[in-house]
Amino acid sequence: MSAPHDSHDLCSDHGGENPTIWHLPVPQSLKDEWLRLETRRHFLGRSGKALAWAGLASILGRGATAARAASHPADGAALAAQLPHFAPKAKRAIYLFMAGAPSQLETWDYKPGLQSLFNTDLPESVRGGQVLTGMTASQARLPVAPSFYKFAQHGRAGHWVSELYPWTAKIADHLTVIKSLHTEAINHEPAILQLTTGNMFPGKPSLGSWLSYGLGAVNDELPTFVVLTSKMPVTRNVQALSNRLWASGFLSPEYAAVALRSGGDPVLHLSNPPGVNGDLRRAMIDGVNDVNRQLYETVGDPETNARIAQYELAFRMQTSVPELTDFSNEPASTWDLYGPKAKEPGTFAYNCLMARRLAERGVRFTQVFLRSWDNHNLLPENIKTLCEDSDRPTYGLITDLKRRGLLDDTLVIWGGEFGRTVYSQGTLKPNDYGRDHHPRCFSMWMAGAGMKPGLSYGQTDDFSYNIVKDPVHIRDLHATILHQFGLDHERLSFKFQGLDQKLTGVLPAKVITDLLA
Amino acid sequence: MLKFLPLFFLVALVPAPAAPAPTPIDYTHDIRPILAENCFYCHGQDATKRKAKLRLDTREGQLANDVVVPGKPGESELIARILSTADDEQMPPADSHRVLTAAQKDTLRRWVAEGAAFTPHWAFSAPTRPNLPAVRAEHWIQNPIDRFVLARLEAETLAPSPEAPRATLIRRVSLDLTGLPPTPAELAAFLADKKSGAYERLVDRLLASPHYGERMALPWLDAARYADSNGFQQDGDTFQWIWRDWVVRALNANQPFDQFTIEQLAGDLLPNPTIDQRIATAFNRNHLLNGEGGAIPEEQRHVTLFDRVDTTTTNWLGLTVACAQCHDHKFDPITQRDYYSLLAAFNNVPETGLVSGSAYKVRTAAPVLDLATPEHKAQLAAVEARLAALKSDELLVKLRVDWEAQIATDATFPDPALRAAAGRPAKDRTELENGDLRRYFFKHGLAKVHPELANLLADLARLKVDDYPRVMVMEDTKPRDTFILDRGNYETRLEPVKFATPEFLPPLPADAPRNRLGLARWLMSPAQPLTARVIVNRHWQTFFGLGLVKTSEDFGVQSDPPVHQALLDWLAVEYREGGWNTKALHRLIVTSATYRQSSRVTPALLERDPENRLYARGTRIRLPAMVIRDQALAVSGLLVDRLGGKPVYPYQPADIWDSLAITKERDFTYPQSTGEDLYRRSLYTFWRRTVAPANMFDASARNICKVRTAITSTPLHALTTLNDPTFIEAARALAARSLRAASFRDSRLAHAFRLVLARDPDAAEKKLLRTSLEKQLARFTADPAAAQAFLTVGAIPRDPAFSPAEHAAYTAVCLALLNLDETLTKS
Repeated sequence: MSAPHDSHDLCSDHGGENPTIWHLPVPQSLKDEWLRLETRRHFLGRSGKALAWAGLASILGRGATAARAASHPADGAALAAQLPHFAPKAKRAIYLFMAGAPSQLETWDYKPGLQSLFNTDLPESVRGGQVLTGMTASQARLPVAPSFYKFAQHGRAGHWVSELYPWTAKIADHLTVIKSLHTEAINHEPAILQLTTGNMFPGKPSLGSWLSYGLGAVNDELPTFVVLTSKMPVTRNVQALSNRLWASGFLSPEYAAVALRSGGDPVLHLSNPPGVNGDLRRAMIDGVNDVNRQLYETVGDPETNARIAQYELAFRMQTSVPELTDFSNEPASTWDLYGPKAKEPGTFAYNCLMARRLAERGVRFTQVFLRSWDNHNLLPENIKTLCEDSDRPTYGLITDLKRRGLLDDTLVIWGGEFGRTVYSQGTLKPNDYGRDHHPRCFSMWMAGAGMKPGLSYGQTDDFSYNIVKDPVHIRDLHATILHQFGLDHERLSFKFQGLDQKLTGVLPAKVITDLLA
Repeated sequence: MLKFLPLFFLVALVPAPAAPAPTPIDYTHDIRPILAENCFYCHGQDATKRKAKLRLDTREGQLANDVVVPGKPGESELIARILSTADDEQMPPADSHRVLTAAQKDTLRRWVAEGAAFTPHWAFSAPTRPNLPAVRAEHWIQNPIDRFVLARLEAETLAPSPEAPRATLIRRVSLDLTGLPPTPAELAAFLADKKSGAYERLVDRLLASPHYGERMALPWLDAARYADSNGFQQDGDTFQWIWRDWVVRALNANQPFDQFTIEQLAGDLLPNPTIDQRIATAFNRNHLLNGEGGAIPEEQRHVTLFDRVDTTTTNWLGLTVACAQCHDHKFDPITQRDYYSLLAAFNNVPETGLVSGSAYKVRTAAPVLDLATPEHKAQLAAVEARLAALKSDELLVKLRVDWEAQIATDATFPDPALRAAAGRPAKDRTELENGDLRRYFFKHGLAKVHPELANLLADLARLKVDDYPRVMVMEDTKPRDTFILDRGNYETRLEPVKFATPEFLPPLPADAPRNRLGLARWLMSPAQPLTARVIVNRHWQTFFGLGLVKTSEDFGVQSDPPVHQALLDWLAVEYREGGWNTKALHRLIVTSATYRQSSRVTPALLERDPENRLYARGTRIRLPAMVIRDQALAVSGLLVDRLGGKPVYPYQPADIWDSLAITKERDFTYPQSTGEDLYRRSLYTFWRRTVAPANMFDASARNICKVRTAITSTPLHALTTLNDPTFIEAARALAARSLRAASFRDSRLAHAFRLVLARDPDAAEKKLLRTSLEKQLARFTADPAAAQAFLTVGAIPRDPAFSPAEHAAYTAVCLALLNLDETLTKS
């Protein structure tokens, strides 16, 4: 299963993808006949190539990836010839999503000048009439809270890295740090939706869904888009994670992420029921498919053939997923990299390792969520716990990808949904303060897949309140991510409700070429 | 590439052999889609984006300045520009990312050459009843639907398929009208009814079934984004199921659709509204509600308003207006002013945009309709009275101090940090520690030190909030001024607007109330061209999988051109003039010869019409996931078919809501039902908006209005129907039912098969079933432990009358039956 593409001459060999016959101007009857032969051949075990998962939909003539057909055939043909739009740098991505919004002031946006301004009022000129959230709108003062943690420069590039990240500091030269992200959303749900789907209102497809739709599957035995949520080392100020963050919106539901679980079945309903072993299940599926094949002979609906393939794939997933989640074959060096917590299912460390295993197996997009960064109070204590939990695994992931040669074409993205205020919410002591939501600036970093390593991009003012140089909107971030996958954000579209819908929406978005190597 | 793909498209429209003479260009079908796709963005109705002062979406615009000179492509600027390759002349320009194909250019050229006929967008003028077309094969006709279908088939030299076998028909129409398969007795009765009109009698029985309303509610609940929770963190539950029950009742009572609409949009504004009419307005309150700590009320209130406008326009007008939040629509004639003028109808509700009460399980936001019974209120009053007598601040302080002293020295106390805090005087604790202690005290401590008081407080929370029936409804008691908002930002108001309907559509009558009631009546008025078409199209979609207009959410200029516009218009007029009689419309559809055709398909027909838009065969589509589950419960005899009531919690993985388990206030363990509630119809399954039920694949997420859901096929669906306890238990019950029904193997297998598929297995299928059973029996006989284990899944007790190996083997075969393509499909 680790070689999803053997070279059958009727099969295309890039991302996803249907047998080429599907794109040929031949009569449908011929395609059906081919499909019938192909499914039979597969069931007889003579071909390792089954129908791509997403490709099933096209046989039904319904879902269809962009690579085949958008909402009407002419579009599909045009897109098929164009995707990816240009040579991609990234084949897959791992997005470490720090839900709740980590403070940029304690992590990546070093503001030494604030130390002398402890407990002074944030100048009105800096705040500039910014609307505050319901949590600090009634606060009498907005006193400046400098970072409790120190920073030092690391690597040849000299990134300023917080002392909270001793491990990540070792890989500083791989990172492209952006300090000038900004958004309009000031509360979690709209903000996180904007990061994950490009829009503050629910109903739009997530970034991972767009990638699945645009590029299809590499490995038909695993989902194209996987979400991992992590156990939290501290559970103050946690946000719920809604399924809509990885939903497919108006794209076909097959492009939604599969959330791999750390307890019970990794994929819901993966395990056979008690008393049913693999042989028995095999016999059961053979029985189902025998009857289905007979049905196809009489009724002639190609959807029945798709059903047969669907059950075959389900059976194979029952093998490929347990193999994926079985870490026993990991070398000892793995645990040195990710740390001992990687052995405990569901931890961030475990999920980072899982993300690497998914990347190796061709999963396009893995989004790892770590929550509880919403530090309205007790920030110094909580952020320390969170950084301790995530620092070494992050280092491990990047280093591991690098060693395995995967970093060249795996894009790693780290960040939350907005920034945090320089002023303290509630109590202010040098070692105890909180920070409210701040949409005007926040930091993220990216690594691998053609990003410019060691670059620090964008600049905020002395209060990390306003951007003074090179702002990057979330739309720009999305455009840049798509670009690395060889996709033009203006052209990756889907006709819905009469409009060409895009991840980046209707407002201007640009690829930040300065970030690219 | 373009050589073949339009083939799919064109074969449906032109005779298959190489087209001899080109058919004349049709503006609606051939030209507007090209212009809309490639030109309207800069040359359409949005004045702010318009380039060169040129409009191509109106006749005047096209004819101005010789852009189009009818009959003379050589003199038409449009043609010159699209053919040009010069950077400064070429249209569309390179930076638009739009490219016209050679075929499209030729089509435009031919259109001008043929006289450049212009027709306004078909869906924007009111439908009139078309004449019934003449057909040759009169004997095939069951009702007027068939005339439209057959006339087209005859023109295409295609013949309709024969009527489906009776067994197929009863299964198809039972699943379509009630969402449940026929029982063996119903099947036998129908097969035995040889008198004429047997099928019509069957249809009438199904239309009268109380399960009709349950089935027909499903698409409406998707459109109404109905769910049982708020949809944000601390995802509070709601009582909106009271509205869900109203929908089922209204559908079963065949409430005329105009009334159904008016009551849901504006029942509160009717004279002396009844309780039911006020409940109906909960339609507008089925939106998400944000309870985030930092949420800004006005911002969230606007999110709600936008959602109401989108839902109303998508649902009734088949238009997407959301873009007009920020600017005039690029393609459809909807201005930003239109958008906010519509929004004004929804802007007078006394609501904040937020939801309060984070400590409770149920969280609702005003205005609500209080539906507590007098008994409930009396109980609540009694608890409040006892509490008033018992509880005092002094007592609570004393109890808490005692408790803190206790835990401070209790080495077994589970939270050491909290214990340490309890050991210090209150003034030496942080704010946070005091908060944590207080919460812990009320949650766990009080019950230890004063059980009676703890019980009373729990009763209070239950009676006053979590069990206090109240449904969020509409009221227009807070008049507000409405403004056009710059880029949809609630903070940047532009000019004020008053409620009005979109200007390009017929106006509100002069005497119409300027509010939601006026809007609702206007939506249902005969002059308004969209509603009847949009709704009829969705009903068609329910039965045929695709609407006559495929883009059932969009009837604007970018919509899918209908293959059968005359049929759509006829149905729309028929529906409206017949008093919006939904059951009559459904009867018309399912008694048509078109509907009754066999769904067998030949390769030739599949190639000619892959999507079955000409209806030369019956529909064959996978059942919705909710119906698949209901069917499994029904055929196994497990189904509890009681109507209505509180949502239920059937089997789900125990940790399904873990991603929500974030707050100290609320326990998010999945409260799995016991007994009958495990076997209620899927309609009643609790729908948590943030984490939808895990076995309802391809369903709407119920976040926003959804009028069309996709049908996909992924291995995850197969895993669900193979391994979800719902299906395993159903297979076990079905096996027991079949074992009981007959004494011999073949009759038992045939019985199970008939229950599931409403037909007898043929010889080959019998053989496959037999072989399969014998194999499984051999395995389970050899491994009794496996048999025992397999039979433990699910809550119903196992019937000890059957040997475990035999029961397990039949269960395995029954599980396979529940997974057959034919079972999962409406054929």
